[in-house]
Amino acid sequence: MKLLTHNMLISPNTRNGFPLAIEVEKMKTVESEFNAEFVARMVEKLEYPALVSTAASLALEPPLPAEVPAEFRDDEPFLRALHHVLLEVEIVEGQLVCPETGKKFPIKEGIPSML
Amino acid sequence: VVSVGLLASSSAGDMRTQATLLLLGCACQCAALRATAFHKPTSFHATRAVEVRLSVAPPEAPDVESVQELRSPEELRKGIAKFYDSSSGIWERVWGEHMHHGYYNDNEKKNHQEAQVDMINEALKWAGADDNPPKSVLDVGCGIGGSSRVIARKYGNTGAGITLSPVQAGRAQALSDAAGLGDALQFQVADALDMPFEDNSFDLIWSMESGEHMPDKRQFISELSRVCKPGGRIIVVAWCHRDLLPGETQLLPREERLLRRINRAYYLPRWCSVADYAKLASDFGLEQIRTDDWTDRVKRFWPAVILSAFRPNSLLGLFRSGFTTIRGALVMPLMIRGQRRGLVKFGLMTAVKPESRVEAAARQASAVSSAPTRPPPPPPPPP
Repeated sequence: MKLLTHNMLISPNTRNGFPLAIEVEKMKTVESEFNAEFVARMVEKLEYPALVSTAASLALEPPLPAEVPAEFRDDEPFLRALHHVLLEVEIVEGQLVCPETGKKFPIKEGIPSML
Repeated sequence: VVSVGLLASSSAGDMRTQATLLLLGCACQCAALRATAFHKPTSFHATRAVEVRLSVAPPEAPDVESVQELRSPEELRKGIAKFYDSSSGIWERVWGEHMHHGYYNDNEKKNHQEAQVDMINEALKWAGADDNPPKSVLDVGCGIGGSSRVIARKYGNTGAGITLSPVQAGRAQALSDAAGLGDALQFQVADALDMPFEDNSFDLIWSMESGEHMPDKRQFISELSRVCKPGGRIIVVAWCHRDLLPGETQLLPREERLLRRINRAYYLPRWCSVADYAKLASDFGLEQIRTDDWTDRVKRFWPAVILSAFRPNSLLGLFRSGFTTIRGALVMPLMIRGQRRGLVKFGLMTAVKPESRVEAAARQASAVSSAPTRPPPPPPPPP
């Protein structure tokens, strides 16, 4: 599960079931070709504060800025940092935990099960 | 019907292919005859002849509400997951990445995989998606992601796909990664009746031959509508029963019995009609609702698949692919009989989720200006 995926998942049937906490059992870094236009497109769809707090909870380096820079489209260092967090960090095994109910959703072989 | 069709269509086959088709044709003929000519309403033997033996057979739920309903939603969910977990690999090997019917114009010659891709494109065109290409797509009942990838290549959208089967979700992601679409497309195990997405998330909600599995059609359309963006579109393509005639409140008893036999084999709950889908769409405030009947367009799919399965190099390959194909073929007489009787239909429904004037204005403003604008949060969905 990439953090891009995590950023759109909510605990079904809840009012405040986002963002889900991540309990990591196995995590890996993958390399993915940087595409500035793609990352820039993603910025508008993101729940950015949730992404920042999730990245911090996983102690990912370097840390993302607290807010999206105004001129983010031209800010290559920002886009590259965002690319890494969104697309190059893979949670392979672990759990997603609902902040409202505490319910746990397993992640197995990189696939979250949100039943 | 099936055997005659097979023999007629084996125009260029060699001796071995024709012999195999003849054997298969006879097997189908026998099964079909047992099921039809000698069937009495209480005869379970004829039913068993065409029944599919699955690796998992959960106990049947008591038949309280209707003749069609066999299993509880929980049993259905588990059964569907196990069914697709165990059959996905074989399906992919024999039929490719798409798990839906192919689209054929009259007298058109093409292989079944082309026809399956055509089905996606024709449905998108029919629904009007080409006129307003989506930027984000949700594939509900995504299988191993075949539709998601075709659509993403077509429109350059990002997308998510959901399935009850962990094996399928894993395969969907792996195939998408290999195709260079691993960043654009994300696959999860999730329940279409309780989706893990915020309201108003996707421009296009795509359901290709997955509606059949939903035990609660109302909840299904409710969820599709909820996660659809205002101004976005829903497309449902599904096997349905015929619309009820004015004055009818239900199908005929023998129609219900035929559907029940099909349901037992393929983990299907109660069927609905295309008119039912349209009514539900209207109930949830969707607009520009359109429907269509493509039963004639998909008639040639199964004979084409059966023909293409018999080109193996080894006897083992023949047996393995043949068994799966025979299994599918044995259920075909029921589906064919249903279509012949005008009961079983391959239907389509599309609708759009209305925008408020505020939303429409914001969308236009952000499309025109170059600076990023966040549209105002949408109003809460109607109860």
